[in-house]
Amino acid sequence: MLVELKNGETFNGHLVNCDNWMNLTLREVIQTSSDGDRFWRLTECYIRGNTIKYLRVPDEIIDMVKEDAAKQRAAGGRNSNRGGAGGNTGGDQRGGHYSQQGGDRGGRGGGRGGRGDYNKSGRGGYNGGDRGGRGGGMRGGRGRGSSQA
Amino acid sequence: MSDQLKALVSRPVFVFLTDGRSLVGNFEGYDQQANVILSQTHERIFSSTEPMQSVPIGVYLIRGETIAIIGELDEELDEAADYDNMRVEPLDPIHL
Repeated sequence: MLVELKNGETFNGHLVNCDNWMNLTLREVIQTSSDGDRFWRLTECYIRGNTIKYLRVPDEIIDMVKEDAAKQRAAGGRNSNRGGAGGNTGGDQRGGHYSQQGGDRGGRGGGRGGRGDYNKSGRGGYNGGDRGGRGGGMRGGRGRGSSQA
Repeated sequence: MSDQLKALVSRPVFVFLTDGRSLVGNFEGYDQQANVILSQTHERIFSSTEPMQSVPIGVYLIRGETIAIIGELDEELDEAADYDNMRVEPLDPIHL
């Protein structure tokens, strides 16, 4: 995925981890200066969430998240998904607050699914499944209390 | 504030960023901090000498802080607009 910072620098790499503040760890990174004419290769970097302007993620991610949300709903919503399924973004997220079609309650389940399992199923957070990061970044209120409930 | 975004879910929207960029895409989701996900996003690049360019950029997750304006796109009006013959100065960045 590609990360652009507020200062215009971009970082292109594989997401390996993220947290509720959108802090990210990327591996195999290509950093580009804001004017776009200097490049650096970094094996790993940590990006503080509040310096980010936007993330550009692969198209497939949207479908994966939707599928997972549908699965979650099918499994009965609230307390259903312990273990592997681990929420639509891989483990750590509480409450699917990214409303898809408005109807997704998210629920507290959130999923404990260890990152390991999750990865094998080829689904990660926003990172295209290569590592199964911890969820989409954002905060994820408490399920029901979140804005679309 | 971010609950007003609920009405936009799965509709076409435009977004102006604080750096002056304008994006158009499908509104997929948001959170309490107004971080926003767009799919089938296009960046619209305006120039005072050339026609507007619409560059497909896929799925975007935009940090709420960097959003200046977001709103539903009226597709009829948008299609009626003659972007090919418009020459428009790009927006300046906002420095808060």
